[in-house]
Amino acid sequence: MTTQTPARTVPAPSRPAPPARRPRRRGNRSPFHPATWTPAVAVLLLLGAAWTAVAAEHPYILPELGEVGTALVTSPLVFLENAWRTLRIALLGALIGAGSAFVLALVMSEIPVVRRALMPFAVVLNVTPVVALAPPLVVAFGFGMTPKVVVTAIITFFPVLINVATGLRSVPPPVLHVFETLHASRLEVLLRLRIPSSLPYTLAALRVVLPLSIVGAVVAEFVTAGSSGGLGTVISNAASTARLDFVYSAIFCLAALGVLLLALVTAIEHRLLFWHESQRRASS
Amino acid sequence: MTPFPTNSGESRPASDLIRVRDLTKTYAGGDPSRPALDRVSIDIPRRHFVSLIGPSGCGKSTLLRVIAGLEGYDSGEATVFGTSPKAMCANKAVGLVPQTPALLPWKNVRRNIALPQKVNRRAGRGGEDPDDLLRMVGLGELGHRYPHELSGGQQQRVAIARAFGMRPEVLLMDEPFSALDEFTRESLQLQLLAMWERMATTVVFVTHSVREAVTLSDEIVVMSARPGRIHEVLPVDLPRPRDTALVNSPRMHAMEDRVRASLESAWQAGAAPDDLVAL
Ligand SMILES: Nc1ncnc2c1ncn2[C@@H]1O[C@H](COP(=O)(O)OP(=O)(O)OP(=O)(O)O)[C@@H](O)[C@H]1O
Ligand SMILES: [Mg+2]
Repeated sequence: MTTQTPARTVPAPSRPAPPARRPRRRGNRSPFHPATWTPAVAVLLLLGAAWTAVAAEHPYILPELGEVGTALVTSPLVFLENAWRTLRIALLGALIGAGSAFVLALVMSEIPVVRRALMPFAVVLNVTPVVALAPPLVVAFGFGMTPKVVVTAIITFFPVLINVATGLRSVPPPVLHVFETLHASRLEVLLRLRIPSSLPYTLAALRVVLPLSIVGAVVAEFVTAGSSGGLGTVISNAASTARLDFVYSAIFCLAALGVLLLALVTAIEHRLLFWHESQRRASS
Repeated sequence: MTPFPTNSGESRPASDLIRVRDLTKTYAGGDPSRPALDRVSIDIPRRHFVSLIGPSGCGKSTLLRVIAGLEGYDSGEATVFGTSPKAMCANKAVGLVPQTPALLPWKNVRRNIALPQKVNRRAGRGGEDPDDLLRMVGLGELGHRYPHELSGGQQQRVAIARAFGMRPEVLLMDEPFSALDEFTRESLQLQLLAMWERMATTVVFVTHSVREAVTLSDEIVVMSARPGRIHEVLPVDLPRPRDTALVNSPRMHAMEDRVRASLESAWQAGAAPDDLVAL
C-alpha cells in the first residue's frame, strides 16, 4: 500500500518522451545506413541514365547497357577465361617485380654503396611510363607469356623498391638505440625491426602496384593481340570488329579485377597492420 | 667550483665506476668553439642513483648516449666498470629507457618486455620473467595488450620493465617521466626506486624536474649549456628507502632549494641559447 504513494506523487509525464535520437557522427555510420550509400547510388543512376541517352543517340560511341549485360550473360566463359589469363599474368608479374624489388631494397638498406649507386636511377625510372616498354619487349621475347610478365614485373618493380627502401629507413632512432644497446646483430635489426617497420610502406606500394599490374598485363596484351588471350586481346579484337558490347563487358571485368585486388590488399593490411595508425580509424 | 667536480667515487677502482674523463664531443656541423660536451669528467659509483639536470641543450642526452656507447666523441674517455660501453652492451649489461617509450607497436606488451631475451642470445644473459616484470610495474593484467592500447604512462612503464628485464648493471633513463601528470609521476618514481633497490643496479637518470632529481638520487649532476659542462655535483644526503612522507618533508624542500640555486647559477654560467629572443 504505502509503496504506491510515492509513485502517485511523482507527476506523470504528460506524454512519452520522444525516442532519443542520438546524433551519429559522420564517418561512423554503418555501410548499410541509407545515408552512406544513397549519394553513390544516386550518382550511379545518373551515370546510367546519361550512358543510356548517349548510347541511344550514338551507338558507335557506347553500346546499350542491356547489350553489355547480354554479352556478359550469354558468354560468361569467354570473359571468365580471359579474365583469369589476365589476372594470372598480372599476379605473376607483380610477384616477380615486387618480390625482386623487396630483395633489392633489403640489399640497398644494408649496403649504402648499392643504395647510392642505384637510387637515382630507381627514382627516374619510377616516373618513367615503363608501359611504353611493351612493344620492344614483345620484339625481344616473342608473343608468349614472357613479354607480358616482364612488362608487369617492370611496372610493379620501382614503386615497391622506393617504398620499401624508405620504409626500411623509417625506424625511430630511440627504438634503434634500444636495439643497439642490446648489441643486436644487423640481421636481428633487419628482421625484428626494419622489416616490420617497413610493412606499412610495402603494403601502401602494393595498393598502388597491384591494380597497376593489370594495366601492364592489358597493355602487353594489346601489343600482342591476336596471338594470345586475355581481356586486352578481347578488347582489341572486339574493337576492330566494332563489337562495343564486348569491349565494355571486358572493361567491366577489368574493373572487377581491380576492385578484387584492392580488396585483397585491404584485407592483408587489416590483418598485418592492426597496430598501425592507418588502421586505427577503420577498426574503431 | 673545483676544477674536477666528482663525487664520492674518487677513491674507488675503475672497475666499480662509470668513469668519464675529459670528454669532449662536437657534433658534425656544430660550433667547434662550443662543443656539446666540453671536457666533461664524472665518476658514478656502482649501485648509485645519479641524476643529470641542466638547461635544455646542455648535453644530458648526449652524455647518456656516450655512456651507452651509442655516440662517438672527439677526445677523452668513457669507461663503464672498467670496460668500454660497447663491451657492456655486447654483454647486454646496459638497459636504456629513451625519452619516448620506443616500444615495438606490432608486439604485445609481454613480447615487448621479452625482447631483450630474444635479441643477442649469444650474451647468454638470463633475464627476469616477463610476467614478474609486468607485476613489478603494476601492469600484471595488460600483458596481452598492444602499445597503442595503452596510455602514455603505461607505455613508459613497459619500457622501464623492458630495460630492467636483463638485470642490467647500468640503467640509463632519459626523461622517462616527463610526459606524465604529477601523481602518476610520483608513484612511478617510488616504483622505480623499489625496483632499483631490489635489483641493485646503477642508474643514470636525466630529468628536468628538481623535485624528481632530489626524490630519486644519491647525487645530482648539474650541467651548464653552451658549452656543455658539469657545473656542480650535489650529494643528496636523505635516508633511504624514500617514501611519500620523506618526499614531502622540509629536508627534502631544503635540498630542492639548493639544487634550484645551483641550476640558476649554471644557467647564468652558460651562454643563453641562440634561439631565445627577449621579448
Ligand atoms: N644529432 C645532433 N646533431 C647536431 N647537434 C646535436 C645533435 N644532437 C644534439 N645536438 C646538439 O648538442 C647539444 C646537446 O644536445 P642534447 O640533446 O644532449 O641536450 P639535452 O641536455 O639532452 O637537452 P634537452 O634537455 O633539451 O633534452 C645541443 O646544443 C644540441 O643542439
Ligand atoms: Mg635530452
